[in-house]
Amino acid sequence: MIRLSGVTVRVGRFMLQDISLTVPTGGYGLVIGPTGSGKTTLLEAIAGHNPLRAGRILLRDVDVSHAAPEARRVGFVYQHYHLFPHLTVAENIGYGIRERAAGRRQQRIGELAELLRLTPLLERGTRGLSGGEQQRIALARALAPGPSILLLDEPFAAVDPATRRGLRRELRDLHEREGITTLQVTHDFEDAMRLGDVVAVLAGGTIVQSGPPEQVFRYPNSAFVAEFIGTGTVLRGKLTRTSEPDPSSGRFAARFEAGALSLEVVAEREGDAYAVLRPTDLLLSRGEAAGPAPRNRFAATVTRVERESALAHVYLDVGGTALLAAAMTSTADELGLAPGRPIGVAIKATAVHLI
Amino acid sequence: MGTEYTSPRMRPRLSPWAIGVWLLAALLVLFVAGPLVRLLLQSTPASLGAALHDRELGAAIGLTVLTASAACVLSLVLGVPLAYLLARASFPGRRVVEGLVELPVVVPHPVAGIALLLFLGRQSPVGAALAKLGLEVVNQVPGIIAGMLFVSAPIVVSAAREAFRNVDPKLERVARTLGDTGWAAFRRVTLPLAGRGVLAGAVLGWARSVSEFGSIVILTYNPKVASILIWDRFTLFGLPAAVPAAVVLLLLALGVFLLVQLVAPDRSAR
Repeated sequence: MIRLSGVTVRVGRFMLQDISLTVPTGGYGLVIGPTGSGKTTLLEAIAGHNPLRAGRILLRDVDVSHAAPEARRVGFVYQHYHLFPHLTVAENIGYGIRERAAGRRQQRIGELAELLRLTPLLERGTRGLSGGEQQRIALARALAPGPSILLLDEPFAAVDPATRRGLRRELRDLHEREGITTLQVTHDFEDAMRLGDVVAVLAGGTIVQSGPPEQVFRYPNSAFVAEFIGTGTVLRGKLTRTSEPDPSSGRFAARFEAGALSLEVVAEREGDAYAVLRPTDLLLSRGEAAGPAPRNRFAATVTRVERESALAHVYLDVGGTALLAAAMTSTADELGLAPGRPIGVAIKATAVHLI
Repeated sequence: MGTEYTSPRMRPRLSPWAIGVWLLAALLVLFVAGPLVRLLLQSTPASLGAALHDRELGAAIGLTVLTASAACVLSLVLGVPLAYLLARASFPGRRVVEGLVELPVVVPHPVAGIALLLFLGRQSPVGAALAKLGLEVVNQVPGIIAGMLFVSAPIVVSAAREAFRNVDPKLERVARTLGDTGWAAFRRVTLPLAGRGVLAGAVLGWARSVSEFGSIVILTYNPKVASILIWDRFTLFGLPAAVPAAVVLLLLALGVFLLVQLVAPDRSAR
């Protein structure tokens, strides 16, 4: 288990403040945040490289707040791998297990090399290796001493998309097999959605939201989080109540107005607010949108369509307000989506997430 | 590639700018190489043979090598920790220390000699304390080493500092998470990676010590190191007496120069 409570670290002028986060034993936690938000500083603090100004760090239920890095027994993989350039691949992998008998050391290196498909590279130097190879060597090196905690600093940032997909799968398999408590930092929310049990969004040195990835994605608690993780279109507007509050929940029907767009929503308060429209909640149809009563319906113009293999991102314009919708590529084809085409849009009142 | 429009014999025509650059560069090379070649040509095999059998010169060169080596070891023992701190640690006054260490490079060497004499002479508290411990500095071998250390330490420290700066501190951090103590990470990762640069600095510092004259002549005229012996012979007996000894010292310096070329960091391979 990794438990941080009120962790405060200062590096130069940068300050990480009051970080509290728990990754349960065997869990996979992700810290996501933009460049310069303090992600690497946080991992280095957990590994013991940055002294704490306040707070506590518990690893495996042991307080290691002021323990030396070598006493914390964590595996650490940096974004740029940092393989030892004066050693061979095998020597890199075996670096942390030198006190073991030669036979056992070789066996462990062999096991990890096979697991991470590195066997043909063992006797090589580290020059000229691809990003993916270097990443797998750095991972093998971190895993060799058998740590129960693994810290990963943007492990997929410097590899091509295909390698990234492969590495992500390997990491997930490895995590499930070895049951290592893992904390990864990333700026890619896709990593969080695919790997994480817990995700924390870091901005400006503090955690602004944390929880299960799906929950953070669907219900971002600020416009920053919604925009950073790409939940959907974030609109700034005004809420006006249109019904009496429901006695049990206190919620009421309201109208959210942002520019030319006026949406029927379910709200808890009035006044200035942000509305988040998730792309998959925007239903597209030819002409007037059909559907049950509480849906908002309005006409839009397609401004751009980006097709991926299965999904199409559809950029829309509603009287000067830009929206992003998503549709299956086949649906996009059936609807004949193309720039300049008019399209009907519908969204449920309850699907509009208000902040 | 490109054979359809140019023959292998054709060379691009040099612009006046390029000609100017080559000419100026050649002039400086000639200016440096000329006197050295002239000096080498001045000696005959017979005079060189005689110089090699010159016991006083032999003793002076032996003393020079010994004291330069002692200064080199001292500058490594004291300079490597300082260089490491300057490269890695941030502490108040770091830039001042950095400037202070490099100051001897700009201090005229006789000035350095006088400063050392005032600091280490028997009249100074430090010199008196050392004398009580049985270590006489002025007019003794330690005076030679002190002069050499003063002028060579900046070279060693600055080379080692750059070598340490070129080693990513994250490599040490990785080593620490793999179970190394701070010392073990330094010994197993940083030193092997910076070693070549530190060694090149040490050899350069050693060569600087061998060539030192200005401060030593003030601190310890006798026993004579090679540079002082050459000066001594030149002033007493004239040029012909000084040349063979000068040639031997030049050959020694050339040997060190070749050594530096061998151990200097191979930047092109990085």
